[in-house]
Amino acid sequence: MTTVLSESQVRFLLFLAEAIVPEVGDLDDTGRRSCVAIIDQALQDRPPPLRRKFIFFLSALRWTPVFRHGVPLDSLRGEALNAALDWFQDCPLPLVRKGFWGLKTLIFMGYYGRPEVGEAIHYTPSFSGNDFLEGNCRD
Amino acid sequence: MIEKEVDVLVIGSGAGGGTVASELSSLCREGLTIAVLEQGPRLSREQFTGRELEMARTLYADSGGYLTKDMSMALAFARTYGGSTVVYTGTSLKIPEAVVKRWSVPDLNYQDLMDRSDKHMAANGVHPLEPDKLNDNNRLFRQGCDKLGYRVQQFPINVRGCRGAGVCNFGCPNGAKQGTDRVQLPAAEAEGVQVVTGCRAIRVGPGWCEACVSRPATGLDPIWEPGDYRIRARAIVISGGAVHSPALLAHSGMSDSLPVLGRYFTAHPALILVAQHDREITNYHGHPKSYYCDQFVESRKFLLETCMYFPFTTAKYLVGYGPDHSRMMSRMDRLQMILALAIDPPRWENRVTADGNGKPMVDYRLGPEVLDALHQSMRTAARIFFASGARRVHAPGGRKFFIEREEQDQIDSLIPRSGIRTGKVGVASAHLMGGCRMGRDSTDSVTDSHGRIHGVPGLYVADASLFPSCSEINPYVTIMALADRVADSVRHDLPELRHS
Ligand SMILES: Cc1cc2nc3c(=O)[nH]c(=O)nc-3n(C[C@H](O)[C@H](O)[C@H](O)COP(=O)(O)OP(=O)(O)OC[C@H]3O[C@@H](n4cnc5c(N)ncnc54)[C@H](O)[C@@H]3O)c2cc1C
Repeated sequence: MTTVLSESQVRFLLFLAEAIVPEVGDLDDTGRRSCVAIIDQALQDRPPPLRRKFIFFLSALRWTPVFRHGVPLDSLRGEALNAALDWFQDCPLPLVRKGFWGLKTLIFMGYYGRPEVGEAIHYTPSFSGNDFLEGNCRD
Repeated sequence: MIEKEVDVLVIGSGAGGGTVASELSSLCREGLTIAVLEQGPRLSREQFTGRELEMARTLYADSGGYLTKDMSMALAFARTYGGSTVVYTGTSLKIPEAVVKRWSVPDLNYQDLMDRSDKHMAANGVHPLEPDKLNDNNRLFRQGCDKLGYRVQQFPINVRGCRGAGVCNFGCPNGAKQGTDRVQLPAAEAEGVQVVTGCRAIRVGPGWCEACVSRPATGLDPIWEPGDYRIRARAIVISGGAVHSPALLAHSGMSDSLPVLGRYFTAHPALILVAQHDREITNYHGHPKSYYCDQFVESRKFLLETCMYFPFTTAKYLVGYGPDHSRMMSRMDRLQMILALAIDPPRWENRVTADGNGKPMVDYRLGPEVLDALHQSMRTAARIFFASGARRVHAPGGRKFFIEREEQDQIDSLIPRSGIRTGKVGVASAHLMGGCRMGRDSTDSVTDSHGRIHGVPGLYVADASLFPSCSEINPYVTIMALADRVADSVRHDLPELRHS
């Protein structure tokens, strides 16, 4: 249950999340839900104008490809999808690049911000990290 | 409105405010009253979990993602008992003489700053980390620099009993880092200084401050009841940091009499640079920051330091997405990291203001000289990574996601200047400076060399906002040295100051 994004926005966001972090596709329902919950919380914490800008950017991202590809972004796959995303990332308009950076940031936060991700990415810190340094083997 | 009266009021409990509080705390023995207002919460030790999102949300303004107005740089600063000293890495350097000379602040003596820096470094237990506690991420940086003939030095750090949790930037769960939360504030409280957390100063003027206390979502209850306060004080020291102090003064209507207020904000804009090794290296275990290379500070205007960040932070500062990005992220235990900081010039246009509610707004443009420096820093860091044996390097402004070892002779062409585009390349800053710069009079500055605000007796600034230009090294020791001077001037002026 999200408070900032509508159901269709969540679906679109998850579509984008999978393009940005392919491992999102391997998450089960619980994993996806926790990913979305993190993003939703981050949006709730932001001031309303920034939230509105983000939601506007999400729609722009979805519908702009219609001009070039004849279909919205979530109908694109493979090379065409990457080309469209690359266009946003490298767009001549700084505002669009920044919007894309913001979107990626939220998606990375959703995926890599989950404490459960640690094992999968070989990140298992310890409060007594010095015990793992030279001369001490990690088990 | 609840009325309060104290002799000295300090706003902010970070490097500047914590120092002023402890330096003045002996006045409590003479019956004087001192209060420190801190808008952030005070946490108990168990609340330092080291978990990335949870701690970022609790400790940092905007969870660490506070954006400049044009959204091209994220500023990291904390809001808690101890301010940003709770999240800093604890590297402790003294400001170079050349920088103080360039500041040319009348009456600011370099030797005086050094003496005060030494005093606080001793109090904070500053020392170089023992060789057996250096992890591979740090050692490799030194080896790479040595191989290339770059000057590399070990950071002195301020830890006592560091166990190498590696999460300094989320507050030390072992309480080893000697921030003001561990050293200066407890010492001040022991003398009778009141530290009121959850208390935001809203407006200040000569002899008064309006503030609001509220219960924080996380952390201990404030020592004053929630509510709106009007506090009268003989001396008020503003130590909210380089973003909040100028904003508080601006919101208090002082921009007209202080035309330089908020101006010349600098930030050491930084890139997080990442490389991958073929094998596991120790990186997130152990203290994260042991070495720096200042070889290029004068010639190319950048400084390189070791660093090690957390999964989300790392992911966010890699440019790109998809399988290459995932491949990099999938082996955190193979990553080597370097932080590149640009030495940014003080510019009139780079400015902190406040909106109608007093919320700070930071207008900062990444100018061409900063982008040039960041560009050069990427090339140099790539060379260091390869010299230290990395398999592949990610340059945020590079033509491709990875530069492979076999391509290292093409570093210059693979990292073109045109690749550094604002918005695409994530730039961050944790060294916020300027905005209430010291100087001669109100035409060139906000305060004198003792932090006295021009034309407002009894009102002082003591924090990073005093810097006339960036410190060109990690700033906290210099902030403490300057705050120590401000405390002296408050002590000196106090007999002349009355409650209004
Ligand atoms: C992640 C990170 C790592 C760093 N590492 C290092 C390092 O290794 N070495 C180094 O030298 N420097 C480091 N720094 C920088 C250093 O921490 C800061 O430069 C220093 O703490 C700034 O001191 P300050 O007093 O200006 O502000 P701060 O320490 O930020 O303190 C300001 C305090 O004032 C409070 N405040 C603001 N406005 C109000 C208000 N209106 N009412 C009440 N309270 C208010 C804030 O909540 C905050 O707690 C690091 C910073 C960060 C963020």
